[in-house]
Amino acid sequence: MASDKDLDSPDRRDFLGKVTTAVGVVGVAGACIPFVSSMNPSKDVKAKSTSMVDLASIPKGKTHTVEWQGKPVFVTHRSDETIADMQDASTELDPQTDSERIQKPEWLVVVGLCTHLGCVPNRVEEGWICPCHGSLYDNSGRVVRGPAPNNLIVPHYEFVDEKTIIVGKKV
Amino acid sequence: MRKLLVLLSAVAMLAGVQSAMAGAGGALKMVDIDNSDQARQRGAEIVVSTCMMCHSLKYIKFSDLSQIGMTEEQIKYLLEDQDIDDRMMSLTPIEVRKESYGKVPPDLALMAIARKKGPQHIYTLLTDYYYKDAEEEETDNHLFPGIKMPDAMAYADAESDEERAEIEAQAADVTSFLVWAADPSAESRRTIGAYVIVYLIILTTLLYFLKRRIWGKIH
Amino acid sequence: MIKKVFSWVDERFPLDEMIKHELTEYPVPRNLNYMWSFGFLAMFVLVVQLLSGIFLAMHYKADVGMAFDSIQHIMRDVNYGWLIRYLHSTGASAFFALIFIHIGRTLYYGSYRRPRELLWWTGLVLLLLLMATAFMGYLLPWGQMSFWGAQVITALFGVTPFIGEEVVIWLRGDFVVGDATLTRFFALHYLFPFIICAAVAIHLVALHWVKSSNPSGITLHAKDNIPFHPYFTIKDLFGLGVFMIIFCGFVFFAPEFWIMPENNVPADPMVTPPHIVPEWYFLPFYAILRSIPDPLGGVVAMAMSILIFLAMPWLDRSNVPGGAKFRPGYRIMIYVWFLDLMLLGYLGAQAPEGIYILLGRIATFIYFGLFLMLPFISRREERRSRVQGLPREAERLIREEQEELLRSEHYLRRENDQKELKDIRKRLEDES
Repeated sequence: MASDKDLDSPDRRDFLGKVTTAVGVVGVAGACIPFVSSMNPSKDVKAKSTSMVDLASIPKGKTHTVEWQGKPVFVTHRSDETIADMQDASTELDPQTDSERIQKPEWLVVVGLCTHLGCVPNRVEEGWICPCHGSLYDNSGRVVRGPAPNNLIVPHYEFVDEKTIIVGKKV
Repeated sequence: MRKLLVLLSAVAMLAGVQSAMAGAGGALKMVDIDNSDQARQRGAEIVVSTCMMCHSLKYIKFSDLSQIGMTEEQIKYLLEDQDIDDRMMSLTPIEVRKESYGKVPPDLALMAIARKKGPQHIYTLLTDYYYKDAEEEETDNHLFPGIKMPDAMAYADAESDEERAEIEAQAADVTSFLVWAADPSAESRRTIGAYVIVYLIILTTLLYFLKRRIWGKIH
Repeated sequence: MIKKVFSWVDERFPLDEMIKHELTEYPVPRNLNYMWSFGFLAMFVLVVQLLSGIFLAMHYKADVGMAFDSIQHIMRDVNYGWLIRYLHSTGASAFFALIFIHIGRTLYYGSYRRPRELLWWTGLVLLLLLMATAFMGYLLPWGQMSFWGAQVITALFGVTPFIGEEVVIWLRGDFVVGDATLTRFFALHYLFPFIICAAVAIHLVALHWVKSSNPSGITLHAKDNIPFHPYFTIKDLFGLGVFMIIFCGFVFFAPEFWIMPENNVPADPMVTPPHIVPEWYFLPFYAILRSIPDPLGGVVAMAMSILIFLAMPWLDRSNVPGGAKFRPGYRIMIYVWFLDLMLLGYLGAQAPEGIYILLGRIATFIYFGLFLMLPFISRREERRSRVQGLPREAERLIREEQEELLRSEHYLRRENDQKELKDIRKRLEDES
């Protein structure tokens, strides 16, 4: 058993105080984790993080709008003519080649929200035009005329087989 | 010594009275809950194939069965018309069930915690069927006399001890599955809890010695 | 750098001053035992309930078609939702357990007596607020017990003379407990804890004016006070550690102990469960309610069972200072009262038939009887101790207290204030 003098020494008391405080702080920090985590998407929301799209139902030249994570996604079955046009064309506002934005040339998958303020653009022959402020996008979803600053976003998607894609990543 | 014996016998009497009073009719049987994935999976299969003719489990999705170790193929194998993301709802229309039994058979998702000693109630109910008459046409249940639910596991039909033991094992699996279904987070709760309690014991011990240190100066 | 920030603040806000005066250098009797830690523990649980409640409210749906399902959503889908839910359900029981012990301490040690009557009254207001909050919160899961408990208790208000039926309908917002009731109980259940916070602040202001009592019940000499920090910060934290072990034991390993199984069945207005039982912390009052055959009488008795506490400082007519420590008559009364309370709690859970009815009436009679006997018992006891003399320890403490009073802060401040007032008046006269 240490002598009384040692037990009373300030260094020893300080050490115990410091250790206790450190252990306590760790506990308080740990206790915050469940509360913060509970605000993240719950299991049922995470299950909606991907959407399956059946491509067979989309005829050539047509665009279908599907829902993914509560947002509209344009899935276009592009004609050969459109593909050729898009591969030749280039844009200045947000330069990207067509091939950077597709996996298979006849399928264009873009999030249907204008990159200006989030309105849903309408389908036109040259691509899409936003009703809110007139932004114009081409058939590769690239912004041709603003005020939108960026091209339509290409979400993560995978071909399950020739006729089906899954949009989004499982969280 | 005498006081202790009197106390013990009083407790024993009380316990006896308690267990006898437990069920509406007969006594409750004991059941060992098997917390393994396999037991729960076996129970899940029986529930989907047999119980879901009449009962639903609205808080469990088929995809949740991956939490007890079933693969996507194994789950899809159980499905009839349903999607894997669907909730486990009975395919028999509500009106048909209501007519056959007088009321809609209760949902099973929370049955294991809907009354005290829920698991024992479930197990006893399933294995308490018997034939009322010699011709073996009408069944009744010791635990709930007059029950509208038929003998789902065909317990009254069992003719040998082995047959009964087999059905009892299945009933135990069903019970184990329903215990999981009522509270899927129970296991992770207890695991986290163990760490929390250990941490708190360490912290409280430190606090105790710090308290002694600080108060030692003025005593 | 930090020093600079603090001195900038100090010039503009009494932060440092307040922390010193009310917390770190606040004088506390050195002989407080752990029974004095329960106020702090209750405050801690209040914070737990606030946090867990707010985070539950992010996912809960106050609609009869969705409420029960939203609880399951929290339990199964929300990350750590089960933990937040169990913290809240266990926390409610912990809150009442701590408060009952806290009140028991106050009664036993006579901490309600002069000059702490307002401290006692603000505490009773807090108890009533807590009971209202818990009652409304219990409806929210919309289980069988939730529904029928609310149905029975709101029906009680029907005993109001003349307008009883209208009052009940007004409370419920409907002819029976329904969607209107659920929504308003949610709104009020979210609001009340903040009223409780304000009431706690007032309770603490009252405490800091008269300072804590101590186990002897007699005001100690000023030299026997020690600063709150570090002595009682560490003592309270240790008490908190012990409490947390018990609390987390329940949260993680037996949360269902505090949840009635019937409440895991969705509310069914067509089917009453065989045994409607309120939560354990309401059982004694429920027993008193049922003991009086007349409905109005039962409600009045139940209300009086708490309101009678208000009169404690005046029912206790003894001039012997302190609580049970130097007062054997009072001590016996307190013990009988605690036992009676537990008996009432047990009876509240039984079906009101057979011998339980008689026992309930006896226990209720004892409950009120003790309060009504207190004036006589306390007087008699005082007379006896005048004859026999108090224990020497008590005499010494009383003598020191009287000497201290003459030197006390209040006394001196009053003297000082009056002197200052005289000076100001004189100056004004001179000027005019």
